[in-house]
Amino acid sequence: MSTTLNVRLRTRLRSGHLGHLSMRLRTGLPFAGRRYPLGLLLGGLVLAVLCVLHVATGSVDLTPGQVIAALAGHSEQPFHEVIVWDLRLPRTLIALVTGAMFGLAGAILQAIMRNPLAEPEMTGATSGAVLAAVLWLGQGSGRLAEPGTVLPLIALAGGVAASGLVYLLSFQRSSLPGRLILTGLLVSAVLRSGTSIVLLLHQEALGSILIWLIGSLNGRVWVHWDVLWPWALVALPLGLASARWANILQLGDASATGLGLRVPYARAALLFVAALLAASAVAIVGGIAFLGLIAPHIARRLVGADARRVFPMSVILGAALLLAADIAAQLLLRPTTLPVGAVLAALGAPFFLYLLRRRTP
Amino acid sequence: MSRSFVNGAAPEEKPEKPEAALSARDVSLGYGERLVIRELSFAVTMGQITVLVGPNGSGKSTLLKALARILAPSCGAVYLDGRAIQQFPAREVARRLAILPQAPVAPEELTVGELVEQGRYPYTGPLRPLGEHDYAAIALALEQTGATAFRPRRLASLSGGERQRAWIALALAQETPILLLDEPTTFLDIGHQLDVLALVRELNRTHGKTIVLVLHDLNHAARYADRMVALRAGQIVADGPPQDVLTEALLAEVFGVRARILPHPVDGVPLCLPFATADTAHVKSSDAETAITPTTETAEKTAGQRVGS
Repeated sequence: MSTTLNVRLRTRLRSGHLGHLSMRLRTGLPFAGRRYPLGLLLGGLVLAVLCVLHVATGSVDLTPGQVIAALAGHSEQPFHEVIVWDLRLPRTLIALVTGAMFGLAGAILQAIMRNPLAEPEMTGATSGAVLAAVLWLGQGSGRLAEPGTVLPLIALAGGVAASGLVYLLSFQRSSLPGRLILTGLLVSAVLRSGTSIVLLLHQEALGSILIWLIGSLNGRVWVHWDVLWPWALVALPLGLASARWANILQLGDASATGLGLRVPYARAALLFVAALLAASAVAIVGGIAFLGLIAPHIARRLVGADARRVFPMSVILGAALLLAADIAAQLLLRPTTLPVGAVLAALGAPFFLYLLRRRTP
Repeated sequence: MSRSFVNGAAPEEKPEKPEAALSARDVSLGYGERLVIRELSFAVTMGQITVLVGPNGSGKSTLLKALARILAPSCGAVYLDGRAIQQFPAREVARRLAILPQAPVAPEELTVGELVEQGRYPYTGPLRPLGEHDYAAIALALEQTGATAFRPRRLASLSGGERQRAWIALALAQETPILLLDEPTTFLDIGHQLDVLALVRELNRTHGKTIVLVLHDLNHAARYADRMVALRAGQIVADGPPQDVLTEALLAEVFGVRARILPHPVDGVPLCLPFATADTAHVKSSDAETAITPTTETAEKTAGQRVGS
């Protein structure tokens, strides 16, 4: 009797959720198929924990308990509430949302270009936004640290214009993914060289421009958030809703046409959404590299290739990675705070190399 | 499971009759400057299996792409149910005809189930998710292609034959009366080739689907076609039942090969046995006759022995 129970328990354990999960973690796609809601739940939890840790991090150390108390509005020390509400919370929210936007932009681009190496940089969105911002800064019209609503808008316009240019230049009867990627790289190279020239001409602004190039969350406050959220509110849902079309585009132009998708329009629309996501994120935090490349990669390893799962997972992972990197950026060389873009590139490039070396599970 | 929707598209969703007619009228087709097909007219016979054959570059795949409106003709037009196909809403066309392109691509991490689910795209919208009928259509498509067993598997883990079944299931999930298949047997071994062709015949005979195939293997074409269309240099040179189309003169003219046509010893289907290339694309039959008579006899003998043994 007890042995049968024992056997039954063991088979139960082996076939149960936990047994599956540990096996899946080793063989890949732990949250594909029916286990996807579990992945979303876990991702949401990780994100919540990272948010609290991110708010707790800074020149004054807070405990998670103190953070939650301050957020709830009954802190024992009033200055905790000032720190949390006026300084830390906007930075956390901006990291959360821009990380999500970079992640989603990358996921969309990798799907529509059918290339796992595509990233926001390849649409020209990043380099266009950076050049526009740098031109504006070089004019002496504003300083980066200065919270203003004009600079982000200019960066946004630059990013969208650059990706529009990429699409038009690559368009030749139809726009093929390969030609789109190559055109994007070339346009980006030209724009980046423009940025370098502006840098050389305006060496007095070098410091602030360099920070902008690398991407940083330092000094981001509510004013920046006020510029960011309307764009996020439009672009994030649009991007998530486009997963249906991305799924069809992933099957190649011929199959996509056969399934009733107008391929050129769909690809242009998705490219525009990705450019909007990337440009509005760059406008607030600067040209953070690698996030748009890595987040979708990890997402696909967790949930498979169905864009309806990859897109939300890339949103979660992009936000989580940027929050984690910004915590590291603040802690690594205390009391100096590093630009988060530098930390992401330093950690992201080796990580990507690692992913490439253990390709195909 | 209800099978009421098997024949053609779902009747309850269609205001018009699901019976579709597909034809190309005076189409010129090409890639960039290079024209592959010049002013060709062709009408698909509804309810039959039509096989397009021809040498590489003869325009058979190009014609199929035009019929599936993947390639827009530079002149002329393709008509579906009497209307120019380009004037139809894209998803409406996708409810009437499905295409399996040559060498289709998909992310390797995609599962068979996820792939076949995309076949329901023409029936869904941003605010209309997959419903009961969609899931039934997906399940039926998987069942018809024998792909139910590997539904949860990733494409990367499939063999060539399984992969092809998954792609055919995707096209079937579209529930269209017309099915266009571009070389569905390429890269498959002989057993899996016959599997796919038997499936095609079953879809036609049992479910009444109109099927247009591009095939390279002439013997397969003769065996499975109701109507065989031979193309050369963008023109239709022969069109009719396989026994009328598959002739020694046609093989010399279209493919530039010398061959003998024999009835298959088992069922009499024309069987093509090539043995040499012709020196030119146009071999005069009298020349060929005198030149090849001795060789033909030996070829016939060896072929007979092989088939017999």
